[in-house]
Amino acid sequence: MTTPTLLRPAAALDPSPDHAAAGTSGAARPVVELRGVGKVYPNGKSALHDVDLSLGEGEFVFLVGPSGAGKSTVLKLLIRDELPTSGEVILDGRDLARVPRRKVPELRRKIGIVFQDFKLLPARSVRENVAFALEVTGTPRGRIRPAVDRALAVVGLGAQADQLPPTLSGGEQQRTAIARALVHEPRLIIADEPTGNLDPLISWEIIQLLLRINELGVTILMATHNAGVVTALRRRVVALEEGRVVRDEVGGYHRDD
Amino acid sequence: MFGFLRFVTFSVTRGLQGLRRNGLMTLAAISTMLLMLLLLAGFWLVQAGLAAGVQYVEQKVEIVADLHDVAGAEGSLTVQAVALAADVAALPSVRSVAYVSKEEALARFRERLRQRGQVDLTGFLDRNPLPASLEVKLVDPREYQPIVQLLQDRSRVVDDVVEVQKLVQQLTTVTGVLRTGGFVLLVLVGFVVLFIIVNTIRLAVVARREEIEVMRLVGASDAFIRWPFIFEGAFVGLLGAAAALAVLAVASGPVTDFMYGFFRILPLEFGSLQRDVVLLVVGTGLGVGVLGSWLSVRSYLTR
Repeated sequence: MTTPTLLRPAAALDPSPDHAAAGTSGAARPVVELRGVGKVYPNGKSALHDVDLSLGEGEFVFLVGPSGAGKSTVLKLLIRDELPTSGEVILDGRDLARVPRRKVPELRRKIGIVFQDFKLLPARSVRENVAFALEVTGTPRGRIRPAVDRALAVVGLGAQADQLPPTLSGGEQQRTAIARALVHEPRLIIADEPTGNLDPLISWEIIQLLLRINELGVTILMATHNAGVVTALRRRVVALEEGRVVRDEVGGYHRDD
Repeated sequence: MFGFLRFVTFSVTRGLQGLRRNGLMTLAAISTMLLMLLLLAGFWLVQAGLAAGVQYVEQKVEIVADLHDVAGAEGSLTVQAVALAADVAALPSVRSVAYVSKEEALARFRERLRQRGQVDLTGFLDRNPLPASLEVKLVDPREYQPIVQLLQDRSRVVDDVVEVQKLVQQLTTVTGVLRTGGFVLLVLVGFVVLFIIVNTIRLAVVARREEIEVMRLVGASDAFIRWPFIFEGAFVGLLGAAAALAVLAVASGPVTDFMYGFFRILPLEFGSLQRDVVLLVVGTGLGVGVLGSWLSVRSYLTR
């Protein structure tokens, strides 16, 4: 693996340490690019129209907009769960429509995904949940344990490693999910409403964690309704409305913030 | 190489885990498999018995021509009878002709009585009532008509022609229908097995759809998602087959008695039948388990 990751010494992580505040342009080579993307679902529902979006290496971008605006569709396109009806989705220089189906799993290992409902396996411990991502992708046993320990250390769950998810708080469960997303050492983390099920204080903890991971050089795209967080952080905000990008700038949740 | 070993270990381990974690479902699947395999084996055995029975009867097929008693020549072979036997033997469709004298016929009759444990009263007869006869065996049992005709034409020598063949033909028709019907039933039962197993395994798959979803999201290849379920299905099939064979082994004594009692003979070699049944049960169990898993998981992968 040649990708810069959080699991290496911080100095080697990123050639441009000030990327996090770099803002709108995404000066470095884009990790993700949507070019004129449209999406119409087979049932005729039109989800996206002519969306352009580029995420630079190491950016932290909020994706906001009302329900049904197309946020989930954008995320699904990025993990190639859906293909665009028109336009191109380019991940790491590759047009996803041209990636053959059997190569899709490899592609997904480069992306960490975090959901509102955590999607943890309740009968497996925190450690097993994180290790699961490596086991099912054929990682040699000897490499699993250290990688899991590192990921758990990053999210601060070393002490809870042997507990089952249902015995944990919501914040701890989400941190487990983030550790699982990190364990493949991804360049991009996609978070779909990661704080949607959490109270404000815990939400902030999660955001702080994502920011720290971003500082380690991982690009983060976070879809959210959490206006407080978005407005306070003043990062790049991409707003969708009825399937179109209506705003793309550094700022708050609303245009006037 | 190591990657492949790791993959197999992973799949087998997870398949076994799946069996244990869904204990009740596993039990349901194995019981279904057991019942269906027993049904299948039962059908198979009855089929084999019928087939062997028909074959046995076909082998024994012959035409019997009872001869007139010839006054003064009792028990000895008459010239006419010899001539007739030679004529019949000359026909290409005849395999052999045997002369059964009156004494021999009586001896056979007494032997049959003795075998059945009935009282032999023939000693009280003042003369032997049984006719001498010619027993004709055929090369092809179906071509009996010309020989029967020939025998009936010699009415001075031949008293009556007993057409065993006619009886056999009726029997063959009946068993033929049974055989075809049995095969159709066998196929139907096979489909029912597959259907039920697919559904049972599908329940197991649905119970773990979250796990499958997570696997897809973290980038597990299709093989890693599919094969644990295939192994699980294979284990269900093998366990079901083992249970079915155990039941059959326990029941084999009574089954053998029944078959002997019903078909009068033991079909072919009993050893080869046993081997066939083991192969049938294990093969079907394994095949249906694997195919069922394959079909059940498929819908979760095609995206």
